Amino acid sequence: MTLTRQQPGTLILGIGNPLLGDDGLGVRAVEILAGCDLPPQVSVMEAGTPGWGLATWLEGWSRAIIIDAVHMGGAPGTWRRFGPQEVRLIAQDEIISLHEPGLVNGLELAQSLDILPEEILIYGVEPGQSEPGQELSPAVTLALPELVDAILSDLWNGRTKHG
Amino acid sequence: MNKRIDVHHVTRVEGHGNIVVEIEDGRIKECRLDVVETPRFFEAMLRGRPYQEASHITSRICGICATGHATASLRASEKALSVEPSEQTQLLRKLTFHGEILDSHVLHAYMLVAPDFLGVGSVIPLATSHPEVVLRALRMKKLAGDICAVVTGRHTHPIAMCVGGFTHFPKPAELENLHQRLVAARADVDETVALFATLHWPQFERDTEYVSLTKPDEYAFIDGEIITSDGARLPAEAYRQVTNEHLVTHSSAKHTRHLRQSYMVGALARFNNNYPQLHPRAKEAAATLGLKPKVTNPYLNSAAQVVEIVHCVEDAIAIIDRLLERGITSEQPAPVKAIPGEGVGVCEVPRGLLIHHYWIGEDGNMTGADCVIPTNQNLANLEADMLALTPLIAEKPIKTMQLDLEMLVRAYDPCISCSVHVLEVEPK
Repeated sequence: MTLTRQQPGTLILGIGNPLLGDDGLGVRAVEILAGCDLPPQVSVMEAGTPGWGLATWLEGWSRAIIIDAVHMGGAPGTWRRFGPQEVRLIAQDEIISLHEPGLVNGLELAQSLDILPEEILIYGVEPGQSEPGQELSPAVTLALPELVDAILSDLWNGRTKHG
Repeated sequence: MNKRIDVHHVTRVEGHGNIVVEIEDGRIKECRLDVVETPRFFEAMLRGRPYQEASHITSRICGICATGHATASLRASEKALSVEPSEQTQLLRKLTFHGEILDSHVLHAYMLVAPDFLGVGSVIPLATSHPEVVLRALRMKKLAGDICAVVTGRHTHPIAMCVGGFTHFPKPAELENLHQRLVAARADVDETVALFATLHWPQFERDTEYVSLTKPDEYAFIDGEIITSDGARLPAEAYRQVTNEHLVTHSSAKHTRHLRQSYMVGALARFNNNYPQLHPRAKEAAATLGLKPKVTNPYLNSAAQVVEIVHCVEDAIAIIDRLLERGITSEQPAPVKAIPGEGVGVCEVPRGLLIHHYWIGEDGNMTGADCVIPTNQNLANLEADMLALTPLIAEKPIKTMQLDLEMLVRAYDPCISCSVHVLEVEPK
């Protein structure tokens, strides 16, 4: 029933629009990651604002790591790592992600079709400002290297289960 | 009879718009589509930037028509700087353009329109009730995205396209693989035509002026003259004579008009104006879907998109054949021959005519830009349709009326986020 065969490997997806300030932080993060030393079988992809297309990019991978701007009520630049289950809980309050159809809808569609990767890990960063403009806010600019280090460290140490 | 419909916001369209219809004592008091998005100021963002960045910046105007914006942008810069792209560049651009049209039309027809006809609220329950339909859509969407990735280096926002050509070239094996997958996709395309031929489209006719690009020897997507079904024919540079953009109070997006109070752009306008240039298989699909120009039911815009899905798959196969036959050369971009300059780039993106008009200074920095987006051009026509439709459905239960109006809005495939970019503060 699936589109292609599941392949072992991790796909890191950066989501957002780099013309809308911090909305594009996921894209900026994967740009940094693309230049880093990554473990074998790890690919990075700049997904932009994929909407329903997210399901097609997730399909076929055993693990997906998603980086996106997420409103969590924290200070700009704070980030946390969580699993898709938590996203759906938060999504009911309509406070996640800035895109439409958003991350949650894409994940939901992939789940309905049974093409979700076995493991999904989301690194959400609290945006400071998401107004038109190509600059990230100072708080998010400071947070990105730390976030990238944490993702790399989790990848190399095999620590991938969220929590 | 008093009725009020206030859909806040319309779902399954890109961006935010509200339908407001009010009937008082049997008379229509209000009938409008409010565009309530924040303006986005892309043109201001371009000023002062090197022209080489313009296509990358504008490709982010839209997560769906990224290749369309990038292509219109490149054509505007190329016209401004007297750059003449090679045949190979033109073929590669056409190929990736087909990928994007395919991607967008599959998304719209299957994910946004089909749920209305199959009696479900969105694509999520559709995935449970008709998983084969959604998986087919995703298969086609993935192929479309892969065409863009092979040609332009990225699925959505093209990296490899630049003024004068490309910075990266597909390998023959990659093109052969796409060719194979496109040929195999004919089965999915046939299923798509068969599925949409079974749908009962709402009956509603309202003739309007249909506006699109046209070319003598191909179904125009990139470049060409502007043609209208009312008989006008103009060079792209004269676009302002067609668009006549003006402000209306209830919308943060500008409206347009030409020979009538409004006009329509998009798949249906292209179908009506350029039917003879469609691929024979696309013409067969049109016959199966019951379409024959001139079609004046706006709901059938989605059916015209299905016809274009067939055309793009067939033409993509033909383009790949041509590219493989002539061989791919790692050529340098065509050179800039004049600077400063002014140029107009035009494309038919999934939702219709897209215009980028650029002014480039002597130092290579942009001094001005004007972008006219298809959804803007359709808004006045969509409202005119709403106004004509409402009396015909006024006796229906309010929920049915609301669905009829929502389906009409969705048929136009509006990309409201993109259209909202041109708000101007008028001096008091």
